[in-house]
Amino acid sequence: MKTITLQYFAVLREQAGCSEERLTTAAATPAELYEEVRVRHGFTLPLAMLRVAVNDEFREWSTPLVANDRVVFIPPVAGG
Amino acid sequence: MRAFSFSSTPIDTASGRAALADPACGGYVTFEGWVRDHNEGRAVQRLEYEAFAALAEAEGERIVTEAIARFGVQRAACVHRVGDLGLGEMAVWVGVSSRHRAEAFAACRYIIDEVKHRVPIWKKEHYADGATEWVNCERCAHPGEHVHGAPAAAAAPDIAAVGAATGADFSRQIALPEVGAAGQQRLADGAVLVIGAGGLGVPVLQYLAAAGVGRIGIVDGDVVEASNLHRQPLYGVSDVGKSKAAVAAARLRELNPATTVAVHAERATAGNIGDWLGRYDLVVECSDNFATKFVVNDAAVSLGKPAVFASVYQYEGQLQVYLPREDWPCLRCLWPEAPRDGLVGNCAQAGVLGPVPAMLGAMQAMQALKILLGLPAEAVPALHVFDLLGMHWRTIKSARNPGCDHSPRELQASAIDPATLEILFPTLEAAHASGLTLVDIREAWERAMDSPERQIEWHLPLSAFMQGAPALPPDGRYLLVCAHGVRSLALAEHLRSLGYPQVYSLIGGLAAFE
Repeated sequence: MKTITLQYFAVLREQAGCSEERLTTAAATPAELYEEVRVRHGFTLPLAMLRVAVNDEFREWSTPLVANDRVVFIPPVAGG
Repeated sequence: MRAFSFSSTPIDTASGRAALADPACGGYVTFEGWVRDHNEGRAVQRLEYEAFAALAEAEGERIVTEAIARFGVQRAACVHRVGDLGLGEMAVWVGVSSRHRAEAFAACRYIIDEVKHRVPIWKKEHYADGATEWVNCERCAHPGEHVHGAPAAAAAPDIAAVGAATGADFSRQIALPEVGAAGQQRLADGAVLVIGAGGLGVPVLQYLAAAGVGRIGIVDGDVVEASNLHRQPLYGVSDVGKSKAAVAAARLRELNPATTVAVHAERATAGNIGDWLGRYDLVVECSDNFATKFVVNDAAVSLGKPAVFASVYQYEGQLQVYLPREDWPCLRCLWPEAPRDGLVGNCAQAGVLGPVPAMLGAMQAMQALKILLGLPAEAVPALHVFDLLGMHWRTIKSARNPGCDHSPRELQASAIDPATLEILFPTLEAAHASGLTLVDIREAWERAMDSPERQIEWHLPLSAFMQGAPALPPDGRYLLVCAHGVRSLALAEHLRSLGYPQVYSLIGGLAAFE
């Protein structure tokens, strides 16, 4: 288990009800982490619609996570 | 060789070139300034250059160092002549070597513009009629109106000249060392296409026009609605119902009469944007939908134009700059699966506070001005994500996606969000390739005027729908097509209400492909 920081934007923030949370997780990758929080918060967006950033860089969904990583799930937004 | 030096003998460009050679460099750009035979209508026979060497060398070196740092070029140098020069002789030489050519051109231009603007060099012209005159450095371009002194005072004559003509006064931005008279001229020479005159577009248009950008194109097919005003305060209650692009253009002309404003009161499509964007230096994307954002992305990539994208959602915004460089990601690199409109909310559905698009739009204007001024807009490619509720700004580094070839991708029917009613396609072929069944709902006489290659096989005119039940199997996936996308949208809505779940309307109709 490791503790990581998660940040949510846009519709994910709305559905999670918070913009940031610290989480202790067994998830090995951002993909596993998203699945975990998707179930918990009832996220409606499929993973394929999102991008993930780890420590302020866009990364693959299969990137290994380590303790104290800062993970941001970013949905596309179009408002103008 | 020194970054900046004076020479009292003819400039040796060969040794300058040799000093800049570097195996890491793929390009070398050079500028030569020559003595010409006329100035402000008077025939010139020869020149004398004089410089305040101690001050001038320090300032010159600073400029070259700035250029290397700003544009990331490998090496750069500048040599300026002093003493007597005859016609055709080289007065100044700038050389830049770099990995890629774009940076080399930009750095070279920056150096010569800044040297002429900032380095104290005086020029004595000897005229054909025997007279002589000190016409000094470029920052005092209008002799007699100016006293040499602090750099801040140097901008005054330029402002006076511009202000007298139009009433505009750019003194507060010309005072910036990075702008100066040369930068103001660049803005005046610049042309920016703005897609969307809504929450993002309003501040973009206002700040670009106010800054003195010479030519602005406004693309927006919408009319002003009362619900727009809280976040689009360029418009007033009396503008409701009028074309946004036309009203915005009138306001901008008032803000800066010298700016030429082109009005395109229609939606940007793959069919029309290429013609427009080709005539501008860059595009600022301020629309409220993904379809348009990707159309703009594709046009910017294919024409090699910088593009400044932004989007907002409630209290948040995203900002991304595309630069036409091999190693730079485009919008499709970031979002390989082009997002579907309707899946994530827009301002109408999700709500928004006015200052959110205002802030993002102001940042877009900032990025656009930096690009026009030749200042680096972005050190590395990134998506900037702003949370104005929590007041956080995250910069997420992005990179060219190796799986993205920077070319438009065809939308497949299976990827279309059922909530969407209207779909934009870059070409008629792409619409066919999507897997949707195309249905031409125009009347027979309209079809008869078409060229054969535009014929859509299935023809069910709107008049036939109006007379009775449509002869369409309800489980099919249809794309209704008319001339401009108005009738097809109305019919698509009507058919949805009759229990056709997958009927869509082609945005812009066939006119979009002309």
